[in-house]
Amino acid sequence: MWLYSKKLQYPVNIKKKNLKMAKYLMSQYAGPDSEMSAALRYLNQRYTMPDDKGKSLLTDIGTEELAHLEIIASMIFGLMKDATIEEIKEAGLGGYFAEHDSGLFPVNPEGVPFTTAYIETTGDFIADIESDMAAEQRARAVYEHLMDLTNDEDILRPLAFLRQREIIHYQRFKELRNYYLDNKIQKNT
Amino acid sequence: MFYEQNFNDYRLDKYNYINNNYNQPLYEENSNSKKLYDPYQGFIRGNMFPSLYNGYNVKALDINPSSEQARMLTTLSALDFAAHDIHLYLDLHPEDKDMLALFNSYKNEANNMRDKYEEKYGPILVSSKETNKYPWSWNKSPWPWERGN
Repeated sequence: MWLYSKKLQYPVNIKKKNLKMAKYLMSQYAGPDSEMSAALRYLNQRYTMPDDKGKSLLTDIGTEELAHLEIIASMIFGLMKDATIEEIKEAGLGGYFAEHDSGLFPVNPEGVPFTTAYIETTGDFIADIESDMAAEQRARAVYEHLMDLTNDEDILRPLAFLRQREIIHYQRFKELRNYYLDNKIQKNT
Repeated sequence: MFYEQNFNDYRLDKYNYINNNYNQPLYEENSNSKKLYDPYQGFIRGNMFPSLYNGYNVKALDINPSSEQARMLTTLSALDFAAHDIHLYLDLHPEDKDMLALFNSYKNEANNMRDKYEEKYGPILVSSKETNKYPWSWNKSPWPWERGN
């Protein structure tokens, strides 16, 4: 089960609305390399990890990704707050507005809906962990692109935090993979 | 624009940044560094492990809490973060005694700070002793996405 902690893992304090950045941030809400993909990927893969190291790490990183999803959602919510129809249209969010108004809905910046095809589970723990390492690298790259798109410190601060978490998660996944390979860990031990 | 003028004050040149290794995956064979950042410095970086830190082209930016509540929340979140980053490490290194001791010290500090915060501003966890009180306070705003820092 999960318990809710009524605070963000990292504070979001958006002072200036920015519809374009709200749109771009949807890549990390529900794009292929988003926090939503990451959370679902790890939380599905954890059942077939071969030992306590793998089961705990995927549970704990998967849980952290849910906290990241909440940070991204809070940023999008803050950046879209009090937007006028003209601003929404100008940012290319007219189509989004027609269907969702300012509600949070899992699509990428181009409106492509979230799909479980983004998440990988093979039941083969080495294949899964190597896919997780790659996913962390892709998410890091996306965060760098998002950071390139803004100079607003209130947006950069949480993005820099979230990008750094990808680096740490990559490190832990790679440590786990190397441990399994070095110790010739087999399935179902 | 304000941010344009100050751009170079806090944003390092992407192409001259000395640790410009973001295209190479950062990885350390034995990430058992005993010299970690303190909770606040780790928190603003998103990383407790100095040897694994890579800032891309942005310096670690301070959090500037605008109220006493925000200040307490930042302290609490930094302690929670410090414990959490060590927690992930411990999942893979359960026999590292020093790290376990550090985890426990940050975890206890965080729990003490949480109690103080909850007493003043309402429950963060539903298991808080604040939920014993009348009237029910869990449902009180602000919610995390409304709070600002």
